[in-house]
Amino acid sequence: MADLFRRLRGSPQGLLGLILVGVMLLIVVVGPWVAPFDPETFAPLQRYKGPSGAHWLGTDQYGRDILSRLLVGARATVLMAMLASLLGTLAGALLGTTSAYLGGRADEAIMRTIDAVLSIPSLLMALLIVTLLGKSAGNALLAIAIAFTPGMARVTRSVALAVRKQEYVAAAIARGESARYIVWREMLPNVVAPIVVEMTIRVAFAVMLFATLSFLGLGAQPPKPEWGLMVSESRRFMHLSPWMIVWPSLAIATVAIGFNLLGDGLRDALNPRTS
Amino acid sequence: MTLPVLSVDGYTLDYAVRDGFTRALDDVSLTIAGGEVLGLVGESGSGKTSLAWAIMRHLPASARESGRIALGELALTGATEAIVRDVRGKRIGMVFQDPSTSLNPTLPLGRQIAEVLVTHRGLAPAEAWREGEALLAKVGIRAPAAMMRRYPHEASGGEKQRVVIATAFACQPELILFDEPTTALDVMTARAILDLFATLQAETHVASLWISHDLAVVASVAQRVAVIHRGRIVESAAAHDVFAAPRADYTRQLLAAVPSPQRRLAGAAPEGEASPLLAVEHIHVRYGRRSLLDALLRRPADSVQGNRDVSLVLRRGEILGIVGESGSGKSTLARALTGLNPFTGRIRFGDLAIDAARAMGRDYRRDVQIVFQHPDSSLNPRQRVREILSRPLRLYGRSEGRPETETIAALLEQVRLPASFADRFPHQLSGGEKQRVAIARAFASQPKLVICDEITSSLDVSVQAAVVALLVELQRAHGTSVLFITHDLNLVRQIAHRIVVMLKGEVVETLDVAGLPGSARHDYTRALLAAVPQIVSSAADDEVASLR
Repeated sequence: MADLFRRLRGSPQGLLGLILVGVMLLIVVVGPWVAPFDPETFAPLQRYKGPSGAHWLGTDQYGRDILSRLLVGARATVLMAMLASLLGTLAGALLGTTSAYLGGRADEAIMRTIDAVLSIPSLLMALLIVTLLGKSAGNALLAIAIAFTPGMARVTRSVALAVRKQEYVAAAIARGESARYIVWREMLPNVVAPIVVEMTIRVAFAVMLFATLSFLGLGAQPPKPEWGLMVSESRRFMHLSPWMIVWPSLAIATVAIGFNLLGDGLRDALNPRTS
Repeated sequence: MTLPVLSVDGYTLDYAVRDGFTRALDDVSLTIAGGEVLGLVGESGSGKTSLAWAIMRHLPASARESGRIALGELALTGATEAIVRDVRGKRIGMVFQDPSTSLNPTLPLGRQIAEVLVTHRGLAPAEAWREGEALLAKVGIRAPAAMMRRYPHEASGGEKQRVVIATAFACQPELILFDEPTTALDVMTARAILDLFATLQAETHVASLWISHDLAVVASVAQRVAVIHRGRIVESAAAHDVFAAPRADYTRQLLAAVPSPQRRLAGAAPEGEASPLLAVEHIHVRYGRRSLLDALLRRPADSVQGNRDVSLVLRRGEILGIVGESGSGKSTLARALTGLNPFTGRIRFGDLAIDAARAMGRDYRRDVQIVFQHPDSSLNPRQRVREILSRPLRLYGRSEGRPETETIAALLEQVRLPASFADRFPHQLSGGEKQRVAIARAFASQPKLVICDEITSSLDVSVQAAVVALLVELQRAHGTSVLFITHDLNLVRQIAHRIVVMLKGEVVETLDVAGLPGSARHDYTRALLAAVPQIVSSAADDEVASLR
């Protein structure tokens, strides 16, 4: 583990990704305590202000402090995105590994179904699920997790197929191990590396999907300080104060870039051949 | 006195690693005169391939060298890239271990030979093509014109190696480096390549460096032999002297480790009418599944026959060897017997009669264990030795009331490994140690039959000798029956009681080892026996005698 971090710091993408994601996670943890104002208190006299000494990033249409809203909203945005990718990855990894283990007709049936689901764009898929389940942050999380599952299953299966051919799997079958043991204990630990990489990159997508869903009014509901929602609300007031839309957009972009870089760095660090 | 073709003087090579340097070659000195074949023998990691690359001047950026390598009068160490380019292929040829990776799969074989001739001998393309055909004819390819147009995947391993050799000889170089050229080939193909080399060598008088881990092969081609151990040349003398009267201790150990039919390791065969433990009756294995589309269109399945009508009997406490070249269906049979391949036919095991892989119950799974060829891939890299060994114990409850830790320590002890190895991961063990863990795992459920599928073919000779001795000892202690699958006839004659010879998925004949080589009836068995290289050495036998 310590060795992994050392290698991660060795590459420029890895180092930058590590810093960006680290700062984001710090904000997620301590954000609400360091926020200078309450994120949901109206201040009618302070509307549409640009950056100033009192309000570092300015205020929005109700005079709420944008910095505070960003700091508090990090939990709703980044944490939810990570949870959604984790859930989707876990489901996809399990499905892909099982499919590779079973092989033959069962593999064929599972993978063709997944191909069919995969042909629906993930945003459309998420929209469909949220519309069916009703709009709430929890349902948006579930929707994104489900939308990610087929893609992850595909990635995992391709790695798991190579693992399936290894003799330790043959040894386990010959020993009479149960299918559950072989999938969980023999195969899954050996497909983890590429999955972790794929997952970090997916977190960036999840942040953007969440923001998109909130932007469309299907995720978090006002007055929640969710970043996508903030962009969506401030769109109407762009001509009054452009800062309102710039800051949350920048925050979303930073998270996306941070996780993408971390994913790139991890891919190099986890692959012994490129180090 | 004429100048040697190749002279290496006090050559030392280091590779830079994370903390400092690791020494690959240490003060190596050797010479090869015109028309001479020098055999370089060593185990994996001894630096023999590093030396070949140093002569070819193809070293990674992390290499630090000192000393001198010279081709005739030309000093190769310190030569510019332009000079080196001129030497490679033209004055020094090279033949690699695996012909399927040393040829470009996207170009026809003819193009690859002609290219060398155009670059180094300045021939016109049409001329080069004709010359290429002549060269292929010379290396014993029956239809050279047709072979020129084929792609590498359309030729057999032996044919590909002939093409590579033709390419190496194409520019009449002064020196050819052979890096384990027969290791990836079957016994019979290897024999043919060795004969071809002898003919070409006598014709062209090219100087050669023949690198190999196989002492028997080197004994049959080289006039002089250098033995390399951990980057140092420990002995260098005429081939006959090295094998008849080795001076270095290391050489003696190596020679003693080489399997030889004269030195039996196994105990006496079980008494004549011992009851059969396993009877394989008319087993067929087919690869390839009939797809849904085939079924819809009523097409026959496009399948490959792995085993055809295989029948054999294994007695209690017997070691039965199965030999054959690659593709003869030995491993297919092993996988069918352990339920990894679907089969038709019947397996009788004690009182059980099994007609399909699905019918293998708990008892059968416990009593039949398998050890695979590659210890790297048969041990899960993410599990510690403790977990690997605990699985069969938990599945079949063979701890017998003792705490599991104790049982695992006893299992490790049985294969001569310290108990502390339980906490290691497989990558922290050497190849031989890994294979010992795999053997311990197989014996953990106290099986009646252990199937060994080429368990020593990825190990060095000396490690192989130790692993095989251990296996025979365990077999004797537990009275287990062993199905020992190998391509190495010398090895199998050392340990097996009877031998089954397989060819193209079928059993050719079954022989008692005691009667060999005279009792071989089938032509194929006789050819196989004749193709196996042997070292005639009294010293090795003395060494063994002194070990006892």
